[in-house]
Amino acid sequence: MKRFSPMKIFVLLAALALLLAACPAAVPAAETGAADSGASAGGEFKVGLVTDVGRVNDRSFNQSAWEGVVAAADMLGLADDDIKYIETQDAKDYADNIQQFIDADYNVIVSVGFALGDATTVAAKENPNVFFIGVDQFQGELIPNIAGLIFNEDHSGYLAGVLAGSLSQTGTIAAVLGTDLVPPVVAFNEGYVAGAQSVNPDINVISTYHPGEISQAFVDPEWGAATAKQALDQGADVIFGAGGITGNGALQEIATADGAGETVFCIGVDTDQWNTVPAAQPCLVSSAMKLITPGVVDLVSLASEGNFPGGNYFGDADLAPFHDFDDMIPQELKDLLEATKAGLIDGSIDTGYGN
Amino acid sequence: MATASTTTGFIRLLRALLIPFLALLAALLAGAVVMLLSGDDPLAAYSGLFQGAFGDGKSWARTIRKTVPFVLTGLSVALAFKVGLFNIGASGQFVIGSVFAVAVGINFDGLPAFIHLPLALVAGIAGGLLWGAIPGVLKVYTGAHEVIVTIMLNYVASLLGGWTVYAGGTQGQTPGPLWDRTAGAISETPDVLSSAQLPWLFGPPYRVHYGIFLALAAAVLIWWLIFKTPLGFEMRTVGHNMRAARYAGIRVNYTIILAMALAGGLAGLAGAIETLGLNHKFAPEFGGAVGFDGITVALLGQTHPFGVLLAAFMFGALDGGAAAMQFESGVPADIIQIIQALVLAFVAAPLIIRMIFRLRRQTHGDAGSAVSTSWSGP
Repeated sequence: MKRFSPMKIFVLLAALALLLAACPAAVPAAETGAADSGASAGGEFKVGLVTDVGRVNDRSFNQSAWEGVVAAADMLGLADDDIKYIETQDAKDYADNIQQFIDADYNVIVSVGFALGDATTVAAKENPNVFFIGVDQFQGELIPNIAGLIFNEDHSGYLAGVLAGSLSQTGTIAAVLGTDLVPPVVAFNEGYVAGAQSVNPDINVISTYHPGEISQAFVDPEWGAATAKQALDQGADVIFGAGGITGNGALQEIATADGAGETVFCIGVDTDQWNTVPAAQPCLVSSAMKLITPGVVDLVSLASEGNFPGGNYFGDADLAPFHDFDDMIPQELKDLLEATKAGLIDGSIDTGYGN
Repeated sequence: MATASTTTGFIRLLRALLIPFLALLAALLAGAVVMLLSGDDPLAAYSGLFQGAFGDGKSWARTIRKTVPFVLTGLSVALAFKVGLFNIGASGQFVIGSVFAVAVGINFDGLPAFIHLPLALVAGIAGGLLWGAIPGVLKVYTGAHEVIVTIMLNYVASLLGGWTVYAGGTQGQTPGPLWDRTAGAISETPDVLSSAQLPWLFGPPYRVHYGIFLALAAAVLIWWLIFKTPLGFEMRTVGHNMRAARYAGIRVNYTIILAMALAGGLAGLAGAIETLGLNHKFAPEFGGAVGFDGITVALLGQTHPFGVLLAAFMFGALDGGAAAMQFESGVPADIIQIIQALVLAFVAAPLIIRMIFRLRRQTHGDAGSAVSTSWSGP
């Protein structure tokens, strides 16, 4: 008997597996039926989000976009079950993950990041009744059911430049940047230079782009740190780090430099990096932000009202709070920044980018 | 095996399936424990996983689509195992196969599909063959261990693949030879010409291409090669005992190089099929994670071509259902990777499974031998 015991276990388990397998097989039919009737009867509104390869709590684009979905759901009174996200595991799965929401009759699908652009466009053309919000996806052609949430990076760069130019004692500031292969990075820099020159026409700006290709330019903190160090040696006392983890390397280098937070400062990018890179807090006066969260909220509510704007939708640019440096920033500078922001929005201030 | 009666054959088949089956079961149970510890509902998760993998036509399509590359990279690793070699390089061979296939696929406009498509597939196989032959040659002529060489060649392949589509820059760098000049800052090739694309078996939204038949054919071919040809006999003999094989007059060096080259060719075909059938272009992020998973698939399949088919199907289902699992139950899809890693741990260490399920030690030819031979081999 003993000789056959592995066999017996195997057969038992196999039978068990078959039973288990048989049960859920009946479920999908029932469930899709329920979903269909629910959608048509209640007219419920569902919002899904597909991340770029990465987690929804990445303290960056994915997280900001998801916070936008959550805030919009609160505002519109949606149930928790009506908003969901899928975290993409593999770049090949973008289309599948978007399709998952389409199959479940979602009304709005947020796809986060430039890399999902192609998959989003294809899905939008196949499903004209679903609204797509493409975060950071520039729309070359107008597709009525895609809104590309993009930003005037030159505007937030300009604000950072005004701040840097006003804070600088040495008359030299710097920017440590991801590659100039990516237009938004160039926009950040040109806005930064123009903003600094608006408060100090003689200012010396040392801007350095990462020399590598796109897959390295944003993930090279060592280069960022070394470049920041070099800028400090050349007398720069305010340094703007704009280039993903590369820029974070610059911020962290400056945070440990002599006089960090007293005579030497740094400015972050994209999100409020006080929260995302705590190691930079000793020098971090502010960050040049893309306001993704309010942009997503706006677009989701426009979709729910039936006023969805296809094409490119410009989100707001702003500086992050000064946090611990708030007392150090003179009121005149704060007023100047407010006025500058208003001027950028109404068009009376031109950053010169793209002219 | 051929001489054994059908009953004995059947029992042996069940025996061979026992350890992998229990390994998968144990990994799923361990995954459930992880979910319970993190406050998730494993039943909801696995029900979502099952629906995502087999719930409807689209789910089946996704599972099949995911299965295809696993079959070929699994066969790649399994074939090398039979010769006592550990091919960790399926990932790099996959990338080189993709690059070769895409290089043919985006050029030669005007060729009819019945020439262009096979040419692109053959190019992918050839790229993988070359990339796989390098560690074989180095092993035979310099004694360099194939594990080290294949691991290092993975990096070379990944960077080489990145270089071919490098987008250039504004500071005078030269763009890669396959880069799509209309792609701006994006490092990717143009789309493969339609004459070189694998046709759809079921078109969008199913997106299942004919690659599944190529994968099935490859499994049968490799089974025939290993078990039904003199060359396969030589390969298995080298795998069992290299010294004895040499003493018996088998061309050991030739067999090693050939086996590594064929293993590379299989992984290269996987890359070609993914590129010509699904992605329709090459970009650095379409790299070869499936190459590393091929190791697990080969071990789970007991390094038998048909076992690899089953194991690849399991992995295809796990990957295919992952997104639906997160969608239905909110359990992070990362749990699937934990389960896949646990499968590898349990299959590679059958002693653990024997302890958990209180199984008697089996006679020769169980899962452990494949692994130990390759590591303690020459």
